Amino acid sequence: MTVTFRSRARLMLIEPSFIHEQLSMTDLEFNICVDDYSDGVYRFILKISKNKEDARDIVQTAFEKLWVHREKVETLKAKSYLFTVAYHLMIDQLRKENKIVMTDSFDENANAITQGSSELKQLLLAAINNLNPTQKSLILLKDYEGYSYQEIGEIMQLSESQVKVYLHRARLILKNKLTHLEKMSA
Amino acid sequence: MINENNYETFFMSYIDNELKATERAAVEAFVLTEPKYAAALALFEKTKLQAPSVEMEDKIFLYRFPEMQAKLDPDFKSSLYKKEAPIRKIIFTPTIIRASFAIAALLILFIGIQLFKTNTVIKEKASDVSTNISSTNSKQTKHVILPKNTLEVSVNKKNNSSAVLISLPINNTNNNLVKSVTSTQASFEDQATATNNMNTSIIKTTEGLSQDSRVTEGQKKESQISSSSMQTMASEEEKAVPVISTTYKEIDTEAEDRTINIGMLEIDGAAFRGITRRVSALLKRNKIEKEK
Repeated sequence: MTVTFRSRARLMLIEPSFIHEQLSMTDLEFNICVDDYSDGVYRFILKISKNKEDARDIVQTAFEKLWVHREKVETLKAKSYLFTVAYHLMIDQLRKENKIVMTDSFDENANAITQGSSELKQLLLAAINNLNPTQKSLILLKDYEGYSYQEIGEIMQLSESQVKVYLHRARLILKNKLTHLEKMSA
Repeated sequence: MINENNYETFFMSYIDNELKATERAAVEAFVLTEPKYAAALALFEKTKLQAPSVEMEDKIFLYRFPEMQAKLDPDFKSSLYKKEAPIRKIIFTPTIIRASFAIAALLILFIGIQLFKTNTVIKEKASDVSTNISSTNSKQTKHVILPKNTLEVSVNKKNNSSAVLISLPINNTNNNLVKSVTSTQASFEDQATATNNMNTSIIKTTEGLSQDSRVTEGQKKESQISSSSMQTMASEEEKAVPVISTTYKEIDTEAEDRTINIGMLEIDGAAFRGITRRVSALLKRNKIEKEK
């Protein structure tokens, strides 16, 4: 693992003497984890919770937990640990809010990379928003983060076969929606 | 193996990149057999999301620096915590249990006595209600201009809340006397006992038009007349209210044949004295014998 240029530059802005200071390996690795995974975790939570403040809080809490347990968590498993903690925090949050989605929605258009035609993307986003949080999480973890079925199962505390079945159901729903919408537009 | 029935599952596993190399090759070969499978696979690929580039705001707060690891002095840290008072356990030893039982018994006894007392007081009050004079109009002040040579006496009756005004002729030398008769609850003890719990309230104050004529012989006469008039009133009330008189018998302590009452016991005085005399004689004899 190496500290990226961006994070190093940012750290230098805050503390110019950062480079010269000797951080312990664990501290350095933690900061690398922040640099590498914070955006991914934030995106994953934001996509489901649709609330920037909640997503930020959840990410912060997840990193706090990683910091507290940094001596127990292996560096290579830090990403899945962060996603696991963040996912369960989000589920708890959704249960508390009784699955009420805040109006402060995430504007994906501003940050999205081109995904074929914008019309198709809109249709797909609308279809994904109709999925339940579990199906949505499965799709996002698979497509955004590229986790395997086994890793997704570890994060969401599901068996590999369950992940496969639930994910395939979600894909079929999306496919049927897309087919229906394409027929409508044609 | 992939076929018409299970191709969708294989396609989804294909786009999820969960197939082995041989299975992937089989899927790619199956797609080439018919164009509808190629369309189906393309549609499944459309369901795959592409990750947008999202950057978290305020990510800088997540970093950890050596300064953040400063630790508080443990003594200072412990001083910040609220200290809990030590829990005191009450051990119920047999002596404590006995003492508590004794205290409880005493309390019950005390409460019972108090209740008994209050009951008797209530009964007494209930019996006296009919004989008490109402004090509602007792603090009224009336200024009455009396005719010449008269004295006003106000008497509150027990069942009559309004004052009874009696005007009596007075042989007074003062003319046109203005008298303010204030009826308060001043009780005339002698009168009250005579009229059986009847409050006869009278205060008479005289304020003459002339200040010089305050302490005169005439006033003395007034008081005499008022007392005489009160006695007459009391005698009238005595007739109406039944008298419950309590008689007290005088005990002659010097009498030889009197009875001695100890609580509810009645002991013959002569016999008691005889016993005490014998006991004292016995004790004296023993004492003399010991001295010998």
